[in-house]
Amino acid sequence: MQLREETERIQNLLGDYCRTGEEQPIPGVTPGRVKHYRRLVYNVVRGNMDTAYPITLAALGEERWEELVQEFFANGLPQTPQIWKLPYEFYQYHAGHETGTRIGKPYLEDLLYFEWIEIEIHTMPDRPYPQFTSDGNIFVDRLAINPDYEIIRMDYPVHLHRADDAIPLKGDYFVLVFRAPETGHVHFLNLSAVNTYIFSRLVEEGLPLNDIKGDIARAAGVESGKYLDDALSTFIGDLIKKKLILGFLKE
Amino acid sequence: MENMEGMVGIGLRRDISDEIIESSVLTPDFLEFAPENWMGIGGYWNRITKRAVEKFPVTCHGLSLSLGSPEDLDWDFIKELKVFLDENQVKIFSEHLSYTKSRNAHLYDLLPIPFRQDAVDHVVDRIRQVQDFLERPLAIENVSYYTPVAAEMSEIDFVTEIVERANCKLLLDVNNVYVNAFNHKYDAREYIGKLPLDRVAYIHMAGHEQVEPDLIIDTHGQPIIDPVYELFEWTIQQMKPVPVLLERDYNFEELDQIQSELMNLKGLIKKHWKVSYATS
Repeated sequence: MQLREETERIQNLLGDYCRTGEEQPIPGVTPGRVKHYRRLVYNVVRGNMDTAYPITLAALGEERWEELVQEFFANGLPQTPQIWKLPYEFYQYHAGHETGTRIGKPYLEDLLYFEWIEIEIHTMPDRPYPQFTSDGNIFVDRLAINPDYEIIRMDYPVHLHRADDAIPLKGDYFVLVFRAPETGHVHFLNLSAVNTYIFSRLVEEGLPLNDIKGDIARAAGVESGKYLDDALSTFIGDLIKKKLILGFLKE
Repeated sequence: MENMEGMVGIGLRRDISDEIIESSVLTPDFLEFAPENWMGIGGYWNRITKRAVEKFPVTCHGLSLSLGSPEDLDWDFIKELKVFLDENQVKIFSEHLSYTKSRNAHLYDLLPIPFRQDAVDHVVDRIRQVQDFLERPLAIENVSYYTPVAAEMSEIDFVTEIVERANCKLLLDVNNVYVNAFNHKYDAREYIGKLPLDRVAYIHMAGHEQVEPDLIIDTHGQPIIDPVYELFEWTIQQMKPVPVLLERDYNFEELDQIQSELMNLKGLIKKHWKVSYATS
């Protein structure tokens, strides 16, 4: 590197001030002007977080939210050159520092991830689509799954209730988040544990429903018969309607 | 390469992508992408990227290379950038003469590099490395700044020496020259007259906001003011035709007004440059 240590130190002084807001003498600046850099830099970050996390902001309130953004920007050392990915680093920072527990909002990690995942699914690179046909039998044929999805597990049902109301409802909650093929819009589907199991098996093993129906019956604690078939038809039919299942794989 | 001389473009922003690509409310000749906002994505915005590239010539204006940073260049990022530039047939790639990263932390805005000889040497070396890897010239933008930082040389000497020694192009931001001349009390035309105008790859124009009696901030949120148009008109008479871009980052409510800015720029270009394509 060709920079003198002094030049590097001066550049870092300005960078530090912009990140932390803590004033310190910087050589050779016009009095009263450096504050504008802190304001401009911080506004970009704060605006980005506000846009990514409107529900969390509303749940925590302005003062607490400001503290969280300030803390992250001062200490989190943002690594991504793409600012639209910065909210993920914000989530990682506060999950890693157990901020939710510290501030008495145990749902914080779940709520941040729930909001982030909408951005991630909406913008993630396109995955290859399977070759599929719309003609088939949901029990006999292998199902073609829309690849642009993720299942998230949460301790608090922040997708169903106001954040503070979710605190006493700690448990295991599953949400299937997916991108609609034509519009690119992101949809959320609350899943029971059994439906999560069914969907995961279909995706992971790529088997026809009939091949795993016995396992599903045991997992659900029901008889393998008309009741189960009707329930599976309803569940799979709903996924087809929502285009999370695209159709049937071309064999 | 398609001849873009004298074309008037606009920065593609998500807020106005439909108006640009799907309607004729805005009629730019070319589009400029901030690659950081469009690379490595899928879904809806990837489709918009593809449609934009099908319909318009494209330039890219980077935000995060941080050419003036003390830390190493981010080669993983630069590799991804090259893929994006190649895939989308980008005609011109530009970056800012500033730094956006310090102590291994991104800052997401443009900080002024100290005008010093060691900083010149450092930036020249980094521009050369990037140009070599990207296999295309880099156009370096003169940035607006609100205070010098520990300067040991003049701004014009700093910019000129970097552009000449790095053998790169210059992205001449006329609004930034106006802003800097106002903020630091120098003559804008004299400054532009000393730049290596034969190296200008294209021009940026934008609006700004005066926040104090003696301070203007480069906001890209307001219409271009008349003195900046006047400086632009004087500038283009000093140089050969290049593409001209209108930067607007927010305040998109008045699209008619933005369209009239595009038309104003086209009018001035037609008045002073012989251009080889048909401006609308």
